[in-house]
Amino acid sequence: MSIYLSFFNLKGYTPQSFIGLKNYINVLSDTLFPKILLNTIKYVLWSLVLGYFLPVIVAIMINEMVHFKTGFKFCIYFPAILPGIAVSLMWYLIYFPDGGGLLNMLLQMIGLPPQEWLQNTKWAIPLLVISMTWKGMPASMLIYLASLQGINQELYEAAIIDGAGILKRIRTITIPQISGVMLLLLIKQIISVFQVLEQPMAMTSGGPNNATITLSYLAYKEGFEYFRVGPAMAIGNILFVILIVFTSFYFYISRKVDERL
Amino acid sequence: MKVFSEKNLGIISNIELKQTKYKILYWSIFTILVFISIISFLPSIWVLLSGFKDAKEIYRIPSSFFPKEIRLSKLVEVWKLLNFTQSYIATFMITIGDLIFCLTFPALGGYVLSKLKPRGTKLIMTLLLWTMMMPGQIRTVPLFMIFNRFPIFHFSLLDTYWPLWMMAGANIFDTLLFKSFFDSIPFSYIEAARIDGCSDVKTFAKIILPLAKPVIIVVSIFSVNNSWSSFLWPLLILKTERLIPITVKIFRMTNEYQLDHYMLALIFSIIPPVIIYLIFQNQILGGISLGGIKG
Repeated sequence: MSIYLSFFNLKGYTPQSFIGLKNYINVLSDTLFPKILLNTIKYVLWSLVLGYFLPVIVAIMINEMVHFKTGFKFCIYFPAILPGIAVSLMWYLIYFPDGGGLLNMLLQMIGLPPQEWLQNTKWAIPLLVISMTWKGMPASMLIYLASLQGINQELYEAAIIDGAGILKRIRTITIPQISGVMLLLLIKQIISVFQVLEQPMAMTSGGPNNATITLSYLAYKEGFEYFRVGPAMAIGNILFVILIVFTSFYFYISRKVDERL
Repeated sequence: MKVFSEKNLGIISNIELKQTKYKILYWSIFTILVFISIISFLPSIWVLLSGFKDAKEIYRIPSSFFPKEIRLSKLVEVWKLLNFTQSYIATFMITIGDLIFCLTFPALGGYVLSKLKPRGTKLIMTLLLWTMMMPGQIRTVPLFMIFNRFPIFHFSLLDTYWPLWMMAGANIFDTLLFKSFFDSIPFSYIEAARIDGCSDVKTFAKIILPLAKPVIIVVSIFSVNNSWSSFLWPLLILKTERLIPITVKIFRMTNEYQLDHYMLALIFSIIPPVIIYLIFQNQILGGISLGGIKG
């Protein structure tokens, strides 16, 4: 339906006339579009840098614990149950530009002047990604933890007898054993970060100077703020085409992993 | 306190932990985890504590982590000032409706796909899987148009809870979760019930549902948590002040209220999920792995 309607000139929400690819041409020729696509890719890259290996590492560390293991699980999973929008607003307050924000407060304690956080064009995206990671990391961590517990303990025993050090054991046993899950979660993360909408909406409303606006947010703005539904659906479909590649790949990998289990 | 010899999982073995080198490693990992746990809690606690400060105290330099005094009556004042009873009721309405819809339809759908298997089940399964993986973005505008002018009947569902409830009912992930659980119930149970003269509906209600209790609990918990956190659709659909849930309310509040009131409002919005988490922590921590990878 979205694809069908995106070929029409819409007034409000009623289709007026068939205009072919004009909506797409309008969207793609917009000077902002390349920048916004680049922003979205930046989000994905930063989220991979900051948030992809973190859950693996934390899961491995928790798996090693004897003391307080459930306690750690409980504490670290805590952010995941908070409402997403509350988390975004909370981090908005943490990054608050003057003395009111937590980060600036901490800076003051060690004697540094307060900084501008989300107002800084360069750092806004990584800072948003940190808040996303804070909320999203625990869920993946739990999945990794479950798959870590499925690793056959005898493999480690054999490795110890062969005299493999800890790093070598991680590299040759742990990582290969969970690599399937890691690949799945990698694609899942790319898919979900590509659609990021809430965080820039709540924390920066796309600013400063459109530095944090994403494709989804652009589609939302076109559709529900400017009421230009045609372009909104065109953007949605462009996003869809990009993501369908990842999705097919996800299914392919998922089948592979299932076969191996 | 547990001892190292109980350790039977993981990369470091219990024998190695007798050496000092590995003990140091173990305890440094322990410290790092304590640190991460603190980071997980710190923002919420900071927001709570700052909420008790007054407006001047928040901006004071040098600022402190703890407020001068914790006045519990301030909670009540802010609650009344921002009219949180109303938004709690609104959110509860959404949550309860969501819960009913997202238990009924996915459970029935899962049962049909798993046990009754009408013709075309395979096709439906493939369609469901693909729909689940489609980005939500592509659906937003067309769905909104449908709700704006509902087909056949031609009336608008905007500003009611029906769209939210219906979308909760159309939860593919839960359907597949139910399906895979029903798959594990042997068919002989159903045959036995049929021989005893049970209708399909009765078999479902009397035999299948009691068996599916663990799944129902997990689905309910996640449904409640999701509806409490749902944001985008309520924002689009609900316009009347009386109807909007807490998430939309706190989003619209930005820059309108004093910072300390705002912080307490954030705390109010996260209290119910935290309570649910405290009560059902075992199910939540175990349930993710139950359906986790397929998510």
